Amino acid sequence: MHFKIAWRMFWRELRKGELWIIAFALVLAVVTVVSLTGITESVRSALMQRSSSFMAADKVLRSPLPFNSAYFDTAAQLQLKSARQMQFNTMVFADDVMQLVSVKAVSAEYPLRGKLVLKATDKIVELTPGHVYVEKRVMQLLQLDIGDKLSIGATELILGGVIDQEPDAPTAGFTGQPRILMHINDVAATQVVQPGSQINYRYLFAGTETQLKQLQTSLEAKLTPSDRWQQVDRSSSIGSALDRAEKFLLLAGLLGIVLAACASAVAATRYSERHRMAVAVIKALGMTERQTKLLYFSQLLLITMLSMIIGLILGQLACFGAQFLIEKWVPDFVPVFSARPLLIGIATAFICSMLFALRPVLRLAEVPSLEVLRQGAPSVRLDVVHLITGAVAVFGLMWMFSQDWVTSALLFIGCAIFAGVLLLLAALLVRIVKPVAAGQSSALQLALANLRRRLWANSFQLITFSQAIFLTLLLYFIRVELIGQWQAQVPANAPNHFMVNINDQQKLELTTVLQQQQLSAGKFYPMISGRILSVNGEMLQEPEMPDSAENGQKGQQTKNDNKRQGFGRELNLTWLSELPTNNQLTSGKWFTAESRAEVSVEARSAERMKLTLGDKMALSIGGQEVTATVTSFRKVDWNSLQPNFFVILSPDLMVDFPANYMTAVHIPAERADLLNEVARQFPTVSVISVSAILTQINEIIAQVSVALSVIMVLVFAAAVLVLIAQVQASLDQREQEIAILRTLGATKAFLLKAVVYEYLVLGLLAGGFATVLVEALLSVLQVRLFELPFQLHPMLWWMGPTLGAVIIVSLAMVQLRGLLNMPSAVLLRRALHA
Amino acid sequence: MNELPSVFIETRNLQKTVQLPSSSLTILTDINLTINRGQSVAIVGASGSGKSTLLGILAGLDQATQGEVFLAGQALHQMSDDERAALRAKKVGFVFQSFLLLPALTALENVTLPAELAGLKDARAKGLALLEQVGLAERADFFPAQLSGGEQQRVAIARAFITKPEILFADEPSANLDANTGEMVENLLFDLNQQQGTTLVLVTHKASLAERCQAQWVMQSGRLTLSTDSGAKHAL
Ligand SMILES: Nc1ncnc2c1ncn2[C@@H]1O[C@H](COP(=O)(O)OP(=O)(O)OP(=O)(O)O)[C@@H](O)[C@H]1O
Ligand SMILES: [Mg+2]
Repeated sequence: MHFKIAWRMFWRELRKGELWIIAFALVLAVVTVVSLTGITESVRSALMQRSSSFMAADKVLRSPLPFNSAYFDTAAQLQLKSARQMQFNTMVFADDVMQLVSVKAVSAEYPLRGKLVLKATDKIVELTPGHVYVEKRVMQLLQLDIGDKLSIGATELILGGVIDQEPDAPTAGFTGQPRILMHINDVAATQVVQPGSQINYRYLFAGTETQLKQLQTSLEAKLTPSDRWQQVDRSSSIGSALDRAEKFLLLAGLLGIVLAACASAVAATRYSERHRMAVAVIKALGMTERQTKLLYFSQLLLITMLSMIIGLILGQLACFGAQFLIEKWVPDFVPVFSARPLLIGIATAFICSMLFALRPVLRLAEVPSLEVLRQGAPSVRLDVVHLITGAVAVFGLMWMFSQDWVTSALLFIGCAIFAGVLLLLAALLVRIVKPVAAGQSSALQLALANLRRRLWANSFQLITFSQAIFLTLLLYFIRVELIGQWQAQVPANAPNHFMVNINDQQKLELTTVLQQQQLSAGKFYPMISGRILSVNGEMLQEPEMPDSAENGQKGQQTKNDNKRQGFGRELNLTWLSELPTNNQLTSGKWFTAESRAEVSVEARSAERMKLTLGDKMALSIGGQEVTATVTSFRKVDWNSLQPNFFVILSPDLMVDFPANYMTAVHIPAERADLLNEVARQFPTVSVISVSAILTQINEIIAQVSVALSVIMVLVFAAAVLVLIAQVQASLDQREQEIAILRTLGATKAFLLKAVVYEYLVLGLLAGGFATVLVEALLSVLQVRLFELPFQLHPMLWWMGPTLGAVIIVSLAMVQLRGLLNMPSAVLLRRALHA
Repeated sequence: MNELPSVFIETRNLQKTVQLPSSSLTILTDINLTINRGQSVAIVGASGSGKSTLLGILAGLDQATQGEVFLAGQALHQMSDDERAALRAKKVGFVFQSFLLLPALTALENVTLPAELAGLKDARAKGLALLEQVGLAERADFFPAQLSGGEQQRVAIARAFITKPEILFADEPSANLDANTGEMVENLLFDLNQQQGTTLVLVTHKASLAERCQAQWVMQSGRLTLSTDSGAKHAL
């Protein structure tokens, strides 16, 4: 139909710059979404690849049942790599010494991810059948040398070397059991696998995400109830760092999207206001309303496509940039290309334009042609339909981006309340201003009178202004403060080595040794392993796999929901008279000096065991049975790299047992030789390094910081765009008045001052509102979402209003200068006719 | 239609009332007017008397509250918005006091717009020819903001004639222009009108301009009376 006209008008409008703000807003929305989804995906896959290396595979299936070759066949059909792993405890004998060890037997393909380094003295060796590889301390415990024989079950194997680096070394639960590694083909000969023996079979798989998903679905039906996928352990330090990182990025992204979407709505509304005359003329010249709608709809469609293409390109470039940076940190990072960001980008462009911009544009077509003869006043009343479509769009975008109903709903409700509160405050404030503005003799008075007169329009502007400032500030503080606080939790001197199995005498000696090296030993925790037998006389339901309790911490459902769920393994118990700093009581009371036979339990495991305060817990410690009353529950901060305990006993119970201690120490990388020293002096003490975890957490923080910086820039651009669009729109309203006042003889300086005052008040108010809200939201986020301590941000209190006033006033000034420099006749003509 | 073919516009007992928040205001009362095909008619009257309101109704931009309007034999008061728009595209041209060119389009594009809307062929050639006639051929690619008021109005006149409308409505076409430029624009309007045999309805308060029309109607607080009719033979 009139496509030719639409096409020409489109290019003309584009050239005149009228469509640019809409285009910018859409481009920004698309760039934000594409780059965020892309960057988040890259960061996530980098982190996953890292986590994979901690599992030695991408996915691990655990089972107490012997290997089912059908699972491997399925994996092979899907072209996944796979490896086998078995874990069991057994006795090893070397000459006269015997020792209970934890054995890991692996197939030749192991590890599928990460790196296994075995060393014989200083030479790197390969995993070979007929050999075993041990932790260094095992050599001391068994008094063995490389090449010596040791017997496991019915067979003899040769000590082939020590384990120098092992991707999936256990990090949680220091059972203190020495570990050895052997080839899986030798397991049969040991004859330790007997009916009834507790063996943990692991299927290791690696491949692309889609392959892995396919594997999971095709195995679904075949799995037995006791087969279980191993999750990336979310309650571990890395898991919660990952979680937090995703939350940061998601939140920041959502803020950016909301802003960009608003910018497109404001820009489209302004565009519509400015095109009323054109529509009236076109309609007077004989275009029907339907045709007019189609004309403007196709213009919007064209601008949407153009913006979308630009946005997709820029967004993808940002993704490549981010991947480039990530590759620098994660050397073996394999960038994954995914179409999802692009698809979401396309959807975003259309949602933004159709739900935010379409409504004002279509309403534009309703301008009566009669306006060619008598200019009607643009309606300033609230457009309920636009509000609803806008709200639907915001929610849709949030959901599409986050794929998370709860986060979207919460943020959405937050935004709605935010807008409501602002509207109220704005209306109130503008009313309060009223009595002050009496005459119009001074610029300030004129400004105040104007503020009051444009009550409705101003409250709307105020909302937009505050929102833009709010989101910018919020993101800035998330970036600077929260990341900073998070980093502070993992300080450079955070303990990176745990030392366990220290006896009373060694405790003193070790302290001295460390002090000589100018290193401080942390707190010594007495430690002993024990098993929870029963609660109130009821036996606990033991999980089928000895260590699934650790993986179950994130609320994994087990079949027997009404039974008390036990750990199924020995726990590390401690006695303490003081509550550890990184623990928080959730209910009950901490031990007092008078406490007798009391126990404090970590809240999540208490839930699993269905404990209530006052329950009697029976424990078996060192062959003795002990009964204690549950008197408190604790929340444990798994992020803190401190020794954490599920169960803490009151100190009076310690008297009966020989104490063994553990401590956490920071040993700088360049002082690693100290570890050998410790190993030599204290052969029975085992040292567990967590520096790999620390490094990874720091990497995550670094990556998230960079990603957030990129997002910061985008969000700031979106905010400025919203402000430009809104200042332009509000200046349009003032244009006519300025023209008239100018013609009536008001000086440039006077008008400039009046407008500057007006925007100064608006800016200060907007900044002030934003500040209050940011502070409120930050405290909620800090405490609830990121589990950081509450803290006020005094810097915000001057930054918010200042930022608001400076940005808004300078934008207004820039645009106003153009207006004021026009000859007043031109200005008047423009204001009255165009 | 039982009208004589020579009658181009006819109104019967036309009334326009607008609803104000607390009261209603009658702008036009009992308008009975006949305009013949090819005739040029001036509507004069004090400011606020209702001239523009009447023009809007005659051109099908607005609807009367009561009464009947016929344009080119068609009952405007019975037509939908879209039907009236289609009729305007085919038969009506406009010249406005404040020119109302589309700022995003060039002079030529402004001129050809109605032709394209009406689906006419050779819009560009016709537009260039008309620009030539109004003396602005070399300004074809200028944007309205780059043209003077008089030039803009000449472009508007070219735009009004490109579809060879049967009727042209002009509301104070020279009121925004200085005397000389105004006269030039008026001349152009009448020349093209004559050349194309268009019916012309002109709202003005300029006596000199009104006198150039064949008939003059006077609007007085919403009532219309015929003051002179030099061209037609009909009774009121
Ligand atoms: N929609 C409306 N609502 C309220 N009043 C209206 C409306 N339309 C017209 N009027 C009033 O009707 C009267 C006639 O208006 P109109 O524009 O027709 O006058 P006019 O004769 O063209 O005046 P001028 O010569 O100044 O252009 C005016 O008093 C105007 O205020
Ligand atoms: Mg008028």
